[in-house]
Amino acid sequence: MVRSSSLNGDSSASHRRTPSRTVTLGHIQPQAPSCRTVYCNDRDSNMPVRFKGNSISTTKYNVFTFLPKGLFEQFRRIANIYFLGISCLSLTPISPVSPITNVAPLSMVLLVSLIKEAFEDWKRFQNDMSINNSTVEILQGQQWVPIPWRKLQVGDIVKIKQDAFFPADILFLSSTNPDGICYVETANLDGETNLKIRKALERTWDYLVPEKASEFKGEIQCEQPNNSLYTFTGNLVVQKQTLPLSPDQLLLRGCSLRNTEYIVGAVVFTGHETKVMMNAMNAPSKRSTLEKKLDKLIITIFCVLLTMCLIGAIGCSIVTDREDLYLGLQKSDWEYHNRLAIGFFTFFTLITLFSSIIPISLYVSIEMIKFIQSTQFINRDLNMYHAETNTPALARTSNLNEELGQVEYIFSDKTGTLTRNLMEFFKCSIGGISYGCGVTEIERGIAQRNGLKVHEEERSTGAIREKGFNFDDPRLMRGAWRNEPDPDLCKELFRCLAICHTVLPEGDESPEKIVYQAASPDEAALVTAAKNFGFFFYRRTPTTVYVRESHVEKMGKIQDVAYEILNVLEFNSTRKRQSVVCRYPDGRLVLYCKGADNVIFERLADGMDDVRKVTREHLEHFGSSGLRTLCLAYRDLDPETYNSWNEKFIQAKSALRDREKKLDEVAELIEKDLTLIGSTAIEDKLQEGVPNCIETLSRAGIKIWVLTGDKMETAINIAYACNLINNDMKQFIISSETDAIREAEERGDQVEIARVIKEEVKKELRKSLEEAQLYMHTVAGPKLALVIDGKCLMYALDPSLRVTLLSLSLNCTSVVCCRVSPLQKAQVTSLVRKGAKKITLSIGDGANDVSMIQAAHVGIGISGMEGMQAVMASDFAIAQFRFLTDLLLVHGRWSYLRICKVVMYFFYKNLTFTLTQFWFTFRTGFSGQRFYDDWFQSLYNVFFTALPVIVLGLFEKDVSASLSKRYPELYREGIRNSFFKWRVVAVWATSAVYQSLVCYLFVTTSSFGAINSSGKIFGLWDVSTLVFTCLVIAVNVRILLMSNSITRWHYITVGGSILAWLVFAFVYCGITTSRDRNENVYFVIYVLMSTFYFYFTLLLIPAVSLLGDFIYQWVERWFYPYDYQIVQEIHRHESDASKADHLEIENELTPQEARSYAISQLPRELSKHTGFAFDSPGYESFFASQLGVYAPQKAWDVARRASMRSRPKVPKK
Amino acid sequence: MSSNMASSSAGSGDSSAARKNSKRPKCIDYSSALLSLTLLDSKFTQQELPACKPILTPGWVISTFLIVSVIFIPLGVISLFASQDVVEIVDRYDNDCIPAPARTNKVAFIQGAAPKSCNRTLTVTKRMKQPIYVYYQLENFYQNHRRYVKSRSDSQLRSPKFENQISACKPEDDAGGKPIVPCGLIAWSLFNDTYTLSRNNTPLAVNKKGIAWKSDKEHKFGNKVFPKNFQKGNLTGGATLNPDIPLSEQEDLIVWMRTAALPTFRKLYGKIETDLENGDTIQVTLQNNYNTYSFSGKKKLVLSTTSWLGGKNDFLGIAYLTVGGICFFLALAFTIMYLVKPRRLGDPSYLSWNRNPGGGR
Repeated sequence: MVRSSSLNGDSSASHRRTPSRTVTLGHIQPQAPSCRTVYCNDRDSNMPVRFKGNSISTTKYNVFTFLPKGLFEQFRRIANIYFLGISCLSLTPISPVSPITNVAPLSMVLLVSLIKEAFEDWKRFQNDMSINNSTVEILQGQQWVPIPWRKLQVGDIVKIKQDAFFPADILFLSSTNPDGICYVETANLDGETNLKIRKALERTWDYLVPEKASEFKGEIQCEQPNNSLYTFTGNLVVQKQTLPLSPDQLLLRGCSLRNTEYIVGAVVFTGHETKVMMNAMNAPSKRSTLEKKLDKLIITIFCVLLTMCLIGAIGCSIVTDREDLYLGLQKSDWEYHNRLAIGFFTFFTLITLFSSIIPISLYVSIEMIKFIQSTQFINRDLNMYHAETNTPALARTSNLNEELGQVEYIFSDKTGTLTRNLMEFFKCSIGGISYGCGVTEIERGIAQRNGLKVHEEERSTGAIREKGFNFDDPRLMRGAWRNEPDPDLCKELFRCLAICHTVLPEGDESPEKIVYQAASPDEAALVTAAKNFGFFFYRRTPTTVYVRESHVEKMGKIQDVAYEILNVLEFNSTRKRQSVVCRYPDGRLVLYCKGADNVIFERLADGMDDVRKVTREHLEHFGSSGLRTLCLAYRDLDPETYNSWNEKFIQAKSALRDREKKLDEVAELIEKDLTLIGSTAIEDKLQEGVPNCIETLSRAGIKIWVLTGDKMETAINIAYACNLINNDMKQFIISSETDAIREAEERGDQVEIARVIKEEVKKELRKSLEEAQLYMHTVAGPKLALVIDGKCLMYALDPSLRVTLLSLSLNCTSVVCCRVSPLQKAQVTSLVRKGAKKITLSIGDGANDVSMIQAAHVGIGISGMEGMQAVMASDFAIAQFRFLTDLLLVHGRWSYLRICKVVMYFFYKNLTFTLTQFWFTFRTGFSGQRFYDDWFQSLYNVFFTALPVIVLGLFEKDVSASLSKRYPELYREGIRNSFFKWRVVAVWATSAVYQSLVCYLFVTTSSFGAINSSGKIFGLWDVSTLVFTCLVIAVNVRILLMSNSITRWHYITVGGSILAWLVFAFVYCGITTSRDRNENVYFVIYVLMSTFYFYFTLLLIPAVSLLGDFIYQWVERWFYPYDYQIVQEIHRHESDASKADHLEIENELTPQEARSYAISQLPRELSKHTGFAFDSPGYESFFASQLGVYAPQKAWDVARRASMRSRPKVPKK
Repeated sequence: MSSNMASSSAGSGDSSAARKNSKRPKCIDYSSALLSLTLLDSKFTQQELPACKPILTPGWVISTFLIVSVIFIPLGVISLFASQDVVEIVDRYDNDCIPAPARTNKVAFIQGAAPKSCNRTLTVTKRMKQPIYVYYQLENFYQNHRRYVKSRSDSQLRSPKFENQISACKPEDDAGGKPIVPCGLIAWSLFNDTYTLSRNNTPLAVNKKGIAWKSDKEHKFGNKVFPKNFQKGNLTGGATLNPDIPLSEQEDLIVWMRTAALPTFRKLYGKIETDLENGDTIQVTLQNNYNTYSFSGKKKLVLSTTSWLGGKNDFLGIAYLTVGGICFFLALAFTIMYLVKPRRLGDPSYLSWNRNPGGGR
């Protein structure tokens, strides 16, 4: 009772404090259209307004709209429109063919597409249903009642438990946490994995238990639903008090509750009106380059069609003669009125006749093939399945499979993509003594290069190994540090690690179960290290840090110590250090500081030169081993100094202008006269197999650019480690850290700075380009590499310099862009995409890679690690960078090859078919008489030749997967687009002309006389059916001839198609109907088969038509072989199974060895650098500010989660 | 984007899978993907179906060529022999059967009332065994013209019920309002030259039965359908039909109505069922009625025997022989080439990146 009354007093006090605000807000018209009023916990009052329900629907269609809308979607395709037009034409009398010829295939294609649409929509519907039916507890009467989400209404009071997702946008009322706060994870919204804090209004803290909550009768007046995630304005009217609401009280749908037992809230926006749904925007669908080229081919075919029709029309108008008595031409026949009319009508007649030249089923077949490729092959490839995170590859779109086979430029993010973003505490140096027995891979590489045997030190038994900690030295562990020369300094180091940070502990307060939420993984690693040294940081309140210290006073003693945190001097990129002022329980005041070596060394107290020198040596050593270093220092403060400083600090903190700057200045005052403790070294682990993958990809002719937000040193370091840069390369470094620029920056005039930087960048670019061109002209010039930082890039991307930048970077083998913003990542990507017209691929894992992923032709997200943002924006998601090898070299290359072959085959088979018709037209007086029966023609495409090509599109393999990876150079055929050139089209066209001529001429020439011993003669339909049979056989067998890998499915479908034709012919020719149809083909096949002649032609014609292609293929292979053909020949005796082993043996270097080798090539001057690399927590907001997005800076509110989120792992079976 | 968020929230709704999984239509839900990975780790999804990988090695190429030639050359020889057995006499008469004075205006002659009888003499150069088939051959006659082909009514031909189905037959559909049977341009333009053959002044019987395909006779032309109003339209057509004989017995018509594929075609006229000896002369008295002159079409009379493969048809044999020969030649040429200047199979130096090492840049 006492508590609640005091709370009430509080809230009324706060209410009194803001009377003016109440008044101003009172002016808002509650019922104005721009405003919504929600009566909490009162469904009846909300009734008249008719808020939307909470059920969502992401389906495209419903039962009624499906047909019209679905058909409309289909007819947005030009090919379908074309066939619709042709179908309409064929309804008119000028058509030589019955409408069935064109309507049947069209409806078949539409049917298949519609079924696919319906299937996909059904899946979406099921998803929606499962979402709509998940349960949430709402207040009914005086108890919590679970209801499905879809029944949730605006104004309901809901209870959300820990780790649950918010079902709607909810006004936060109360929480089980003290101070009415709760933690929210927004990874689904913005990809940020840090926890955000939301705070309820004090006035509503009480409504937690159902009895109390049922008394809550508030009225929420707020803005109308909108899509701005970061704004919310409104008032809560409770008991005639009007309280202003802010985004802090709004819990958005899509977020989840963390670190809080449960919260109670009132629903404000539901269903499609939630902010998250208002943001719903489908990612722009990408079309593959090959498909765009396919359009060109289709247009060309269309032109060919028009030409053919024109020839026919002219021919007809010349040839047609009224003297042909048997035609019974009369003056009254309007279509034969004069030559112009004849030509005109014949033209359209011929268009309907030759319409089959456009492969109608091409698009739907390709779609089907790609769909199976992505769902069955890419998604289920065990080579791309990451067992540790239980993540298979995921093709989120099936449009771009073949694009993967033509990628020339890869833009890669660094953190989380190339590196694991997994920092492990590896070594440290205390008071001039280096600890840690581990050997980094880089050191191992150096040793190996020098021919030394690396003796892997035995790890002491029971050495602790956990995430973030990979350190072993018996001298420090388990309290052994007490026996070291300077145990006090050790203690200071451990305390510094345990206290000086901004980490939030989460979970149980036991060393095994605790999870540290840190702004950067480095921090988490350091705190973890402290824990393992016996200084276990387990709890933090805004003012206190609790550390469970072991072995401090004597061995084995464990005590909990609470350190009062007085000030936190935050990390930022200019300060490059972070300090904490804390008060020991015994009153000792200490400043702990950690930061970059040069920054710390400047601020050390005098007279510790020895330690300083030794520590610097250690730092250099750590740096050259590829470790990230930090220097640690402390300073004892006396209370007077501190108090006077603290006043200044408070002043600065409350300053309204230039607060940042003032804080920095104040910090300078106290961060001096430090005592050096030592340094730490953290290993930034590369993702598995990255150097190897990069090596393979570059052999495949793919250029890899690294775009990272990291500092230049870190970026270059990683570039070396990844084999991207080596010492043989000529490097062009364009940095904003030059003296000229720094000088200008110190002067501080923004315009002046911009001008200077621009000039500098221009100068550098020009110079580098000249040099690069010089190297390009020499025969054996070195490979080139470009390193540029974000600030310079900003100016280099200026239209005036863009061309220079592009031509320079295209000459370089590798490019590293550091400190770039997400926007710049996208700009660089589209620079290459649009400027150089090359096919680009972006790969990244975080929210800051989204723009880049969307800007590239193909976007790839790394799944299974950070938030889903990158994956959501991507076209493909893979778990590891190294899977790119499989994705590009195997799946991409195959898809490209397959789609090319499928397209070419479609082109060929339709052209062959139509050309026989065309040749026939010449012998019919250009009258447009059809050669084939209607049903033959309509089923040719969709039935007699449809399946083998799909099998080809699924199973075609030139070389096996392991050979594709072993000979990455094969990929270049895709980059050069070797299989989809006009030359290839021409070859296929020639083949089509040849085969159609053979089929047509051979039959017509030889079937002139009697064709059996009883002197009978063939009619038109006998001849055409014979030609058709030959054609079906030749075209189907052609599939086998063009396949590099023939499975039993090939045989089944090819044989099946031919058989299908024969069965169809038997049935179709055997029936008569009572309807008046031209019984042209009645009994034809039986007549044919009763003659020897039939079998003689059936052997001769397909053989002759395929012989041409056979000879061509043989000549091509023998004299102008493709690379893959040579590779096939090299490995012609191997079975697939044995190849996998070969791969291991052939590559002499294991991934680790290759990497260490690369690192061993680090240049001298760089190896001198001490490896300081510590991503500042503020670096997210740095990007945000560059992008113009307002991101609130919060000291304690924002705690970025460590790289690996604590996902519940699926237990391994 | 948002739909995914929403969906992932549902994913957590059921407690077992709190993992973030995108449930976009095309995405596979991870947990179910895992299931399928374990269940469907098949050779299909791993793309390792057993397959035969044909490579055109010299051995394969040469043997293919050899096999083709080994099969084709005998077949060519066989069919050529069959064709050589056939004796064929062709006589073009369209020009010669116009009396010399009328040749300046053949159309006027053919349309006039002058007697059109004409005598031709054929000499048998090689013994012809019966049956000997008599054909007429027309050239430049577009029986496959679109307008011509469709001008018929199949149902009318089949059954008297459908007598009135004449819509396709224009302009020869009715005569004075009554449907023509058989209607249409094809029937109307029925060939009407007649041939009377005699050897050494003894008439040679020409059997005009059994010249049509059996299926046509039995199914397409009804035995209860009798010609009506035929050749009574405005236009002057070809032959007339005896209205007392059902269509199924009018084999001339049946043969004529199986329209030819090309503008040059033969049609069976009848057969002679006696052997003709070498040196026999055959007198043909023909009635030159059919007007091909207005479109300069040729008319020929053909007497021919047949082999098991049909009539005289050198094309098949020659084609087989040529292809077989070419294949044999190619096999030979390739063998020689391979022996003289071999290319090692799978020579890595042929790989493009080995040919110009700098090309990879």
